[in-house]
Amino acid sequence: MSDSQHLSSQFDEDLARLRTHVLQMGGLVETQVSAAIEAYTSGEVAVVKAIVDNDRKVNDLEKAIDDDCAHIIAKRQPAAYDLRLVLGISKIVTDLERAGDEAKKIAKGVQRIYENGHFPTQYGVGIRHIAEAALVMIRQSLDAFARRDVLQAQSVIKADKDVDVEFKSIIRQLITHMMEDPRTITTSIDIISIARAIERIGDHAKNVSEQVIFIVEGRDIRHLKEAAK
Amino acid sequence: MRAQLVRASALIVGAAVVAWPLGYFAAAWAGWALFSVGLVAQLLFQLRNFSRLERWSRDPVLDASLEGEGDWDNVFGRLYRHEKEMRGVIARRDAEIRMLISAAQALTDGVVLLDRHDNILFCNHTAEDQLGLRVAVDRGQAVVNLVRQPEFAAYLEGEDFSKPLTLRSERIKDLVLSIYVVPYAENNRLMQVKDVTQSERLDRMRRDFVANVSHELRTPLTVLGGFIETLQEIALDRDEQAHYLQLMGEQSKRMLTIVQDLLTLSSIEASPPPTYETVDMVTLLDKLRRDAEALSGGRHRVFLDSDGCGDLRGAEVELASAFGNLLSNAVRYTPSGGSIRICWRADAAGAEFAVEDSGIGIEPAHIPRLTERFYRVDRGRSRDVGGTGLGLAIVKHALSRHQARLDIRSEPGQGSRFAAVFPPSRVIGV
Repeated sequence: MSDSQHLSSQFDEDLARLRTHVLQMGGLVETQVSAAIEAYTSGEVAVVKAIVDNDRKVNDLEKAIDDDCAHIIAKRQPAAYDLRLVLGISKIVTDLERAGDEAKKIAKGVQRIYENGHFPTQYGVGIRHIAEAALVMIRQSLDAFARRDVLQAQSVIKADKDVDVEFKSIIRQLITHMMEDPRTITTSIDIISIARAIERIGDHAKNVSEQVIFIVEGRDIRHLKEAAK
Repeated sequence: MRAQLVRASALIVGAAVVAWPLGYFAAAWAGWALFSVGLVAQLLFQLRNFSRLERWSRDPVLDASLEGEGDWDNVFGRLYRHEKEMRGVIARRDAEIRMLISAAQALTDGVVLLDRHDNILFCNHTAEDQLGLRVAVDRGQAVVNLVRQPEFAAYLEGEDFSKPLTLRSERIKDLVLSIYVVPYAENNRLMQVKDVTQSERLDRMRRDFVANVSHELRTPLTVLGGFIETLQEIALDRDEQAHYLQLMGEQSKRMLTIVQDLLTLSSIEASPPPTYETVDMVTLLDKLRRDAEALSGGRHRVFLDSDGCGDLRGAEVELASAFGNLLSNAVRYTPSGGSIRICWRADAAGAEFAVEDSGIGIEPAHIPRLTERFYRVDRGRSRDVGGTGLGLAIVKHALSRHQARLDIRSEPGQGSRFAAVFPPSRVIGV
């Protein structure tokens, strides 16, 4: 149980603070996504406004962190791991910010559906399942970033496949619904946009995990075929 | 030290004394050679002991390998004893620390120790489970890196720890935590994490109950008050008056039903545990079927599926009220033309009274909360069909007093099955 600050220089402290800021932003995005899913299942349209308001905070954090990254590179000229960390972080925050946007889209979609007097619950099970999977992916990718855990990051990348498959099956199901009863088309289209947003959140979590692998191992595994990962 | 000095000098002088006559009577070089041999022998003796010490100090083990000659042995002995003492002290401290840690691990509350920068120093197993930490990898990591809810970071930064923070776990569904922060030793902080899921749930139920009772009674009262005002202020003809009075009667009857249900519930709660009187199931089932048919008024088909075998032991009034409630629910929530089936099965393993309907069904999310007082799947819907919101609460209470449990299975749009499952001790005649 030694005091951890004894050896850390000012630079290390800067980097630690930067990491914590990224994870704080990630925490906010996690909360946004889970609030949006909650709104979908409970129909509490009141939280939509809070989600939209909080999205501004996510955007501000992204800008602030990006600024910090630029400052660190300019002032400290980091090398090797430190450089990869700063570069990786500036990409991670972009993905987190977009995941936050998708949460906002879900919330707005939920509001549209309920305000039109419809209940999306009949599609609830599938959407809820895929949404929870995406939320777990975001959480695990941030855990992997915090712990520099490559295995965890790889498992997130694998999980993205399942989310994609599930997304496609939800779309097929909705198409069947729309063909059977054209009156459901308006709601179905809103639900498709929600499902798409969830699927995109999964993609962003995957991108974050790829950056984690880049930071820890120095390998860039974006756009590689499965075998090469 | 002086003794050693004297001895060393004496040896040198001794060598000189032996060597000098040889140098004087024989050749000078022979004398010098003998003297040098004496000195080298002494040097070798010291070197040998020194190299033993040197070898031992690289890997100090407590065995007989540390043995010296002459004065060296005393030095070695002291070193040996010191080493042994130190090992004893370290072993005792280790045992104490291990005991403290295992005490911390045994706590049912989570404990996390933080340094002045809120980095994790230690956390016990409970905290690992509650907060998703892994102390082996997370030591030295800022706690907010892993517990990322914004309200948690704000709480830690806020420095106002007079009230605990209530935190909904992101990692474990439905888990509610209460977090206390206590400063200790210079600038370190201890975080105590309590699982308050259960008490949160009770709190919510109590709040809901009071709000619901008031709401349920206020609605008919408002209607009643409105009609009274109308009757007082506007001259109405006979027909209108009769119509209003009839509506008022309905509302007051409604309030009466609610109050009656509340009284039933509290009398079931307050009365002594039910005795083991025999309840004749054949008669009871027949009565239940006739009641259900009367309530349905021919809108549903009611079946009785029973081999007439086995009776229950308990309070007939309570059981009849519980079964009656299940049946009247089935009648209410099944659209016209649907079917209702009353099943009774008894054997040595226990008995089951079940009501199956082809009604509207219940979403899975609502099932765990159905027996809460005034819990409504769809606000307004059950009031339309005349429910008080207390029926299932009465059923659950009456059943649990008979050691029976309520088993609910339902498929939205397909129908529901409510079953009361009794233990063998409550069944006779099988």
